[in-house]
Amino acid sequence: MRATVFALGVAILAAGRPAFAAATPITLGAAVQMTGAMANTGRYYRDAYQLAVAQVNALGGVTVGGEKHPLSLKLYDNQSDVNLGVRQYVELLTQDKVNFLLGPFSSDDALDDSSVAEKYRVPMVEGGGASSQIFSRGYSYVFGTLPPADDYFASTIEMLGKLSPPARTVALVSADDAFDVSVAKGTRKLLSAAGLELVVDKQYPEDNAEFASILSLVASKHPDVILWSGHEAQALNFIREMKSLGVSPERMASFTVGVPTADFRQALGPDAEYAFGMTPWLPSAAERDDWFGDGEKFAALYHQKLGYAPDYHAASAVADVETFVKAIEAAGSLDSGKVRDAIAHLDFQSLYGRIHFNPGGQIALAQTVIQIQHGQVVPIYVHDFVHRPLYPVPAWSKRLAHK
Amino acid sequence: MLLFAQIVVNGLLVGGLYGLMALGMGLVWGVLNIVNLMHGALIMLGGYAVYYLYTSAGLDPFAALPLAMLGLFGLGYALQWFVLGQIARSPLLNTLLVTFGLEVVATYLAQLAFSADLRTINPPYAGQHLALGGLVVPLVPAAAFGAALVLAASLWLALGRTRTGRAIRASAQNLGAARLYGVNPRRIFALTFGTGAALAGAAGGLYGLVAQISPYMGNSLTPKSFVIAILGGLDRPLGVLAGGLALGVAEALTGAYLASTYVDAISFGLLVLLLVARTSRLLRPA
Repeated sequence: MRATVFALGVAILAAGRPAFAAATPITLGAAVQMTGAMANTGRYYRDAYQLAVAQVNALGGVTVGGEKHPLSLKLYDNQSDVNLGVRQYVELLTQDKVNFLLGPFSSDDALDDSSVAEKYRVPMVEGGGASSQIFSRGYSYVFGTLPPADDYFASTIEMLGKLSPPARTVALVSADDAFDVSVAKGTRKLLSAAGLELVVDKQYPEDNAEFASILSLVASKHPDVILWSGHEAQALNFIREMKSLGVSPERMASFTVGVPTADFRQALGPDAEYAFGMTPWLPSAAERDDWFGDGEKFAALYHQKLGYAPDYHAASAVADVETFVKAIEAAGSLDSGKVRDAIAHLDFQSLYGRIHFNPGGQIALAQTVIQIQHGQVVPIYVHDFVHRPLYPVPAWSKRLAHK
Repeated sequence: MLLFAQIVVNGLLVGGLYGLMALGMGLVWGVLNIVNLMHGALIMLGGYAVYYLYTSAGLDPFAALPLAMLGLFGLGYALQWFVLGQIARSPLLNTLLVTFGLEVVATYLAQLAFSADLRTINPPYAGQHLALGGLVVPLVPAAAFGAALVLAASLWLALGRTRTGRAIRASAQNLGAARLYGVNPRRIFALTFGTGAALAGAAGGLYGLVAQISPYMGNSLTPKSFVIAILGGLDRPLGVLAGGLALGVAEALTGAYLASTYVDAISFGLLVLLLVARTSRLLRPA
C-alpha cells in the first residue's frame, strides 16, 4: 500500500497566542490531493486552507459566545485516490473528532467524500467539486463554492451569439468523470437553446487521454468552435495534439480548465496563445474581504507566501474556511445542526465573491470568459464584453508565419 | 476512407512509442524474470532527464536522448547490481514487492525534486506536420516513431548477433548451461537491466515530446507496457514493437468509431484473448 499518510496537524497560533490561552481550538478537517496525479491542482486547497486558517487566527480567531477560539486544521493526503479519501474523512470524524469538514479537489472526490459528511451529519463546505451530481441527492450537510458544472460554458455560448463572424457548428469533447459529464450534459442543453449545431460529441477516458483519433474526426467536420472539458493535464495534451495534427477550429476553442493557471501557460509557452477558457474568479480590489482586505491583496499575499499565483481553486478554498467562521459566529455554537442552518442562511461578501447558497447547496457565480493574449490571462466577457477577444483565432499554420 | 487511413496512421505513430515503452520491460522480464513495476518510473525519469537537458542545457531533445539513455543505463545497472541482484531469479512476489517499493520511492522523490507541475518538451519544431496526399503526419510523433523503430531493430540485432546479446539470451534460456560457457550472470543481469532502463529513458524523452511529464506519469504507463510486453512476447524485440503497433491502432480505431471510454477495455480485452489463445497452443501436444 502506498502508505505515506502524512497527517499535517497545523496549529498556527503564532500571533494571537495569549488571547487563546484557555480556549479550545475549533478544528476543520480535510483530505486533499498533496501527491498523485491531481497534486498540481490539489496543492491550491492545501495551501489556501492553511493560509486562510493562519489569517483568521492572526486576526483573533473565531468568537463563540463571547469567547475567542483559534481555528486549527487537520489535513490528510488522499494521494489522488478517491477511496483513500473516503476512509480519511471517516477517520477525521471518528478518530480525530474534527468539528467540521472542508472539501477535497475534484467532483469525483467531492461526490464520495460528501456522503461521509451527510452520513455523520457534519457540515462540509467544499470548494473543489462543481458537478451537479453532488447537489442533486437531497443532502442537507453539503455546500459547494464552485459554480454548477452544467453552466461552465453558459457565458461562452452567450458570448458566441454576439461575435462576428457568427459560429454555427460546435464540436464538444469531454472526459468521463463526474465533473465533465455534468459539463457536457449542461452544454448540450445550452447549445441547442442557442441554436448551435453539435457536429461532434465525443467522450474520452480521464486516465488514458489520447486525442489523435478524436481530433482527426473533429477535423473532418470542420466545426466553427471546439468546446473541451476535462482536467488540466489532458488540456495540455489536447492542445499539443491539435497543433501537431494541424487541427484548428474555424473560429475558436475553449477549455473548462487550465487556461487561468500559470502552470498552463508555462507548459505550453506560445501555444497557449488565443486559448479561451473561463474562471469564476479573478483577483479584484472590488471583492472586499474581512480577513484579507480584498481579492488583489489576497493574491499578492498568497503569491508572496507560497511562491506561485492563486487561481479560482485557491480563492474558493479560502471562501470555504471563511464560510465556517461566519457560520459558527452566527450560530454562536459548535453544534453541527446549528452551524449547518447558519451556513444555509449565510450571505456575505468575500474575496471570492458573494457567498450565498441556493437550496441545493451551491452558490451562483458567473463564469468570466478569459483568453490568453500575449502571455496574459485577459477577461473577455461576463454579461457583456470587458475586453476585445482575438477572434476568429488564427489557424496553427498562420501562427507560425507570424513568428 | 481518408479519415480511416488518418486514424490508422495516428494509431501507428502512437503504437511505435508504446512498443518502445514496452521493449525494456519485456527484456527485463524475459531475461531476469522480474516484472519490473518501476518501469513507468524509469520512463518518467527519462522524461525529466531530456526535459532538463533541453531546458537547462539547451540540447535538442533528440540529441539529449542518448545522454538520457546513458544516465538511465547507469542507474539501471547500479540498481540491478546493488539491489535487485539480491533477489535475482527469486519468487515473483519478491521482485514485485521490491520493484513496487522502488517505484513508490522514485515517484515521491520526483515530486519533491521536480514538483507536481506538468512539464512538456516543446522544441520550436514541435507541432509541425507533413501533409502526404491528404494525410497529416505530425513531425515529432513521426520522429519518435522512427527512433522507436531504430532502437527496437538495434536491440534485435544486438541480442541476435553480438556475443553479449547471445549471453543475455543464453542466461534467459538456461542459466546453468550459460555459466558453464563462462557467462558471468551478475554482469549480464546488470547489463540487461541497464539496457531495459535505457530503453525506458528513451521512451520517456519521446513521451515528453508528444504528451506531458509529471512524477505520476508512470502509473498508467507500467500496466500499458505490461500488456504490450505480453502481446509481443517478452524478449522478442520485434514482437514487442508489433504488439505496440497493434495496441496503438486498436486504441485509435476504438476512440474514433466507438468511444475512447472503451480504450482500456479493448487493450486488456486483447490481452485476455491472447492469453487464452496462447495457453491453448502451449497445452496442445506437439
